[in-house]
Amino acid sequence: MSGYRIRKGKEIAFFLAIAILTLITILPLFHIIATVFINGLPSVAEKGFTFLTGTLSEGGIGPAIIGTFVLMFLSSLIGLPIALLVGIYAYEYPDSLIGKWTKTLLQIMLEFPTILVGVFVMNIIAIPMGSYSAFAGAFALAIILMPYVAVYTHEAMRQIPFTYREASFGLGLTRIKVIFRLLVPLSKRGVLTGVLIGMAKVAGETAPLLFTAGGLYQSYSIGIFKPVGAIPLLIYTLVQSPSKVDHATAWGASLVLLLIFLLVFIPVRMSLKEVKL
Amino acid sequence: MSVLQKIKRIDGFKIITSPAVMFVFLLFAWMLIVYFYNALPAFVREGLATYFKNVWQATEEASKEHYGLLAAIWGTVYTSIIAILVALPLSIAYSVFVIDYAPKKIKNALIVLSDVMAGLPTIIYGIWGVFVLVPLLQKYVMFPLHKHLSFIPIFSSPPITGYSYFSAGILLGIMVTPFASAIMREAYQMIPFTYREAAIASGMTRYEATKTLLGYIKPAIFSGMILAFGRAVGETVAVSLVIGNTFNLSIGLFSPGYTISSLIANQFGNAFIYEHMLPALYAAGLALFIIGLAVNIAGLYLFRKWEKNVRI
Repeated sequence: MSGYRIRKGKEIAFFLAIAILTLITILPLFHIIATVFINGLPSVAEKGFTFLTGTLSEGGIGPAIIGTFVLMFLSSLIGLPIALLVGIYAYEYPDSLIGKWTKTLLQIMLEFPTILVGVFVMNIIAIPMGSYSAFAGAFALAIILMPYVAVYTHEAMRQIPFTYREASFGLGLTRIKVIFRLLVPLSKRGVLTGVLIGMAKVAGETAPLLFTAGGLYQSYSIGIFKPVGAIPLLIYTLVQSPSKVDHATAWGASLVLLLIFLLVFIPVRMSLKEVKL
Repeated sequence: MSVLQKIKRIDGFKIITSPAVMFVFLLFAWMLIVYFYNALPAFVREGLATYFKNVWQATEEASKEHYGLLAAIWGTVYTSIIAILVALPLSIAYSVFVIDYAPKKIKNALIVLSDVMAGLPTIIYGIWGVFVLVPLLQKYVMFPLHKHLSFIPIFSSPPITGYSYFSAGILLGIMVTPFASAIMREAYQMIPFTYREAAIASGMTRYEATKTLLGYIKPAIFSGMILAFGRAVGETVAVSLVIGNTFNLSIGLFSPGYTISSLIANQFGNAFIYEHMLPALYAAGLALFIIGLAVNIAGLYLFRKWEKNVRI
C-alpha cells in the first residue's frame, strides 16, 4: 500500500515539475511582450505620428519602416520564383538522388547561420558594386526566404490526393500542365502560408543586413542600388549607443517590429495545424 | 519540327525547374568557395594556428598583426552548450506537458505560443536581453553565486558588467527551447498509441508511462538537441549584444567573451583598415560554416534514421 503511495506521490511531483518548467519556458515570451510594450509605448506616444513618419533626427523611424517593407518586397521578388520551382521539383522527384539532396539542402539552409549569408552577399554584390544597397540586402534576405517557401510548397503539394495526379495524367496532359495548371493552384493556400511565414521571418532578420543594406535613417531617398535602412538593423545600432534617447527610440522601434511580426504571423499560424521554423 | 517543339517533347517541366534547383546548389557551393578562398591567406600566413591560438593584434604595422580565433571558437561552443543545458529540461517538460497533460484548449494555445517564440525576431530577444535579462541575472544569479561559491572555478570570475558567457548561454537557451521542443513534440506524437495503452494497462502510473515512452524517443531528443545546438551556434545579433565582446579564454561563466558570429558582426566593419584581418575573419566564417553544416547534417541524419525505425 505504501508502495502505491510513493508512486502516487512521484506522479504528483512529476506533474508539478513539468507544469512549472512549462511555465518557465513560455514566461520569457510574456515578459518580452510586456517589456516591449511598457518601454515602447511611451516613446511612441511621446512623438506621436512623427515616430512612424519622421527621420531619425526628428525622433522617428520612418525610413527604417519603409526600408523594411522595401526589403520584404524585393527579397520576395527575387526569392519566390526560385523557391517555388525548387519546392515543386522536390515534390515531383522525391526519390531521385537530386530530389533527396534538394530536400536535405533546404533543411540545412533553414538552419544555416544567417551572418554567413550576409558576409557572402557583401562579398559577391556589395564589394563589386562599391556600395551597400537595397539590392544586396534583399538578395541576402532572399537566400533566407527561399528554404521556407520551398519547404512549405513541397509540404502543401504532398497533401494533394494522389488520384488527382492520376486523373490529370490519364487525360493525357503533359507534366508541365498537370503541375502548373492543376497541382500548384490546388495547393495555393499552403504555398501562401509559406510565403507569409517566410516574410515574417525576413522582416525580423538583422544579421544578413549588417554588411549589405548599409542603413539609411535620415532621409527617404529610396533606390534599388542605394543603401537602405531596416527596423531590426536600426534597433541593433541604437542599442549599442550609450545615449538614453537612442535606447528609447530602440524600444519604440521594437514595438513597431513586434507588431508587424505578430500581425503577419498570428493570423497565418492560427489558420494551420503545424509550422516549421 | 522546330527546336521549341523538340524541347517541349523532352520534358518542359524539367527545363523550367532544373535551373532553379541548380541555382540553389551553386549558390551554396559558391558560398563555401568564397569563404575558403578568402580565408586562404590567413592559413598561409599563420597555418592552423589561426584556429588554435588566442591572439588578436590589430596594428597598423602589417608585420605585427596576428590573429587567432580560439577565443571565439571556445565562446561559441561554451555558450551553445549552456544553451542546450537550459533547453533540454525545458523542452522535454514542455513537450510532455503539451501532449500528455494539457487540456485541448490550453494545448493549442501553448503550441501557438511556442511557435511565436521560435519565430520572434532575434533582435527583440537581443534588446530584452541587454536591458532586462542581463541586469536580472547579474543581480539575482551571478552575484550570489560568485559571492558564495567562488571557490568553484566556473563561478570564480567576478560578474563586473553582467555581459558574459552565462548571459549569452541563458538567452540562447530561451531562444532555442521552442525550436527543440517542436522536434521532440513531433517525435513524441509519433509513438504509436498502443504503446501508451499497454503501459497504462500494465498498471503504470502516468509518470512511469511517460518515463518509459521518453526512453523510446531518446534518439529524437538527442537529434533535437543537436539541431538546437546548431541554431545556437549560428545566432548572431542577440548574442553579440550580451556576450561582452572580449577576447577571452576562460572557463569562468561570468567572464565576457566572444563567439564566432559576434566576432564577425563586430569586427568586419573595420577589418578593411588592416592588412591581414579580413582573411582571419573569413577563416572564422569558414569555421562557423563547417560547424553549422556538420551539426545540422548530423542532427537531420539521426532524426531521419530514428523516424524510419519508428514508421515500420
